[in-house]
Amino acid sequence: MAQIELQGITKKFGDVTALSDIDLTVRDNEFFVLFGPAGAGKTTLLKTIAGAEFPEQGLVKIDGQIMNHTESKDRNVSMVFENYALYPNLSVYDNIASPMRSKLYKRDEDYIRQSVDKVTNMMKINHLLERKPSQLSNGQRQRVALGRCLVRNPNVFLMDEPLAHLDAKLRHFMRGELKEMQTSINSTTIYVTHDYMEAMSLADRIAVLNHGRIIQTGTAQEMYYTPRNEFVACLFGEPEINILEARRQVNGADVYLTLPGQSVKLLPAEDTAAALREAETDNIHIGMRGNDISFAFEKNGDDWIEGSVYANEPIGNKVIMTVKVGDIKIAVTCPNDTAADMDQTVYIKFNMVNAIYFHGETQEFIIRNNMSRYTKDQQEG
Amino acid sequence: MNQHKQKGIMRILEPVGRNLGLTLFAMFALFPLIWMVICAFKSDAQMYNTVFRFTPTLENFRAVLIGSDYFRAFFQNLLVAGGAVIVTVIAGVPCAYALARYNFRKKEDVAFQILSFKFAPEIMVILPIFLIFQKIGIYDTYLGLIWVYQLITMPLLIWVVRGYFEDISVEVEQAAQLDGYTWYEVFFKTLIPLIKPGLVASALLAFIFAWNSFTFPLILSGSKIQTITITALRYIASDTVHYGQVAVASTIAVLPEVIVALFIQKHLVRGLSFGAVKG
Repeated sequence: MAQIELQGITKKFGDVTALSDIDLTVRDNEFFVLFGPAGAGKTTLLKTIAGAEFPEQGLVKIDGQIMNHTESKDRNVSMVFENYALYPNLSVYDNIASPMRSKLYKRDEDYIRQSVDKVTNMMKINHLLERKPSQLSNGQRQRVALGRCLVRNPNVFLMDEPLAHLDAKLRHFMRGELKEMQTSINSTTIYVTHDYMEAMSLADRIAVLNHGRIIQTGTAQEMYYTPRNEFVACLFGEPEINILEARRQVNGADVYLTLPGQSVKLLPAEDTAAALREAETDNIHIGMRGNDISFAFEKNGDDWIEGSVYANEPIGNKVIMTVKVGDIKIAVTCPNDTAADMDQTVYIKFNMVNAIYFHGETQEFIIRNNMSRYTKDQQEG
Repeated sequence: MNQHKQKGIMRILEPVGRNLGLTLFAMFALFPLIWMVICAFKSDAQMYNTVFRFTPTLENFRAVLIGSDYFRAFFQNLLVAGGAVIVTVIAGVPCAYALARYNFRKKEDVAFQILSFKFAPEIMVILPIFLIFQKIGIYDTYLGLIWVYQLITMPLLIWVVRGYFEDISVEVEQAAQLDGYTWYEVFFKTLIPLIKPGLVASALLAFIFAWNSFTFPLILSGSKIQTITITALRYIASDTVHYGQVAVASTIAVLPEVIVALFIQKHLVRGLSFGAVKG
């Protein structure tokens, strides 16, 4: 139960900079998710907090105490490693009991048995207690690693993709359990994942990492609705957000956008017009989510854009249709009974109210409709 | 039909052939040992004119075990070889750990240097070592022999154990530290059990090499310390060769190795093949 602060953390491995100038505060009792593509530095950041890696620059503070020179055993943190890091010579029971048998966190055997029973029941691995890690499947190993992390009551739980190797059903179940546990025992948790659904469903706040830098920190809502740049926008949401390269046209007081090769004028929402007019480039990227695009097989008006069906993928509760307009491909979310033939003509229309605008050159966020609603938390914080 | 028959014949011939091959190899490997034991029971008179039919005698045993200081040499050999292995384990395991875990400049060069101690023929380095040992006064001492035996025992152990350490992921150590264990507890409770097969196997081999070493004790020990390999030489006198006594000395010298190897046979095969894959 502690607040974690990182100030100006820089970590290099030889010539490779794994983390560069990371500033981050994880509040007490917060469920904080580190999110980013492979190689972004998420694991290194966790290990820096755990004390398994030592930064070249910067401070690691736990509860206001500088921890840079504290050995990892004295930091009272508990971690799930991505590769499980189980003790191959010990049984599942002894693996999970291990943190409670060290001199530092010593407990009596009765207490240990109860705790191990509790977590193994929750993880549904209570029938495997006598086995060695080599006799387990990857999903089972991962649950043992998670169990070893959860039996303790540390300052902070560090979890490095703890659900990555579980099957979908179990992952969903464990996600619920983790969330429930986190609220019931009031613990600070830092959780690494590259699954955006996991990130959004679990997190109080999310930090997006790329190339060792924090791109954006905020709630799941902020990430989804007001991403700082196109990179963040592309990470959240399925299908991936469509980034449309558009030209800004200013006509007196009016501002509108056009797509290359298309005559249809895209009119931005009223409260976004001013910011778009002031943008110092005519090259505007429109971020448009698949479910903000309507489609029809007949032309219903002049503001519909003609394209052809490139692909039509049913994924259970919805159909993702890829529409080719000129050279660009646009993913559209459709109801799950949508049937379409390849190369069939289709008309689409953008719901410009939900468009997110990015600077064409820097790819930075410019504006979206109804900003105040999505950033309310940030202003309060 | 004909094919079927052929298959049936093959099914009989295959195990027969395999066992025949293994038997031949076993005879090839074991016959010198058997011959040695037979010789140990022959008298000098019957040594050259009999093969398997002779009058067994214990005369050779009496001459070697009672008539000479064979047991003294036996225990001195045990002391030197055992001491060398203990020093190797104590110094070599941390060395292997450092070579596996830490990154320092010229790491691979250091590792190769250690291995290269085994390349040079002993006879080539023995003369300078002899002179140095005389100068610093450790000629014909336990310290001197144990020290020089490290050339034989250390490289093997370091290279085998290093492979084992490299197979253990760093995260296991980090996890153990997060569980609240000190580095020493991690090392002894987590790492040592994991490298045990390799450690046991390489320590045994090191012991055998040290036990059988001939060149080093021949030159570097004198009257105070006599290893078994040197003592066995004494039965080859200038006028006659007492093959029977040499055979007795050798037979008894082999015993400790055979006994230890049988005890840890299980570790031996697994230990040497396992670490070597990735080492």
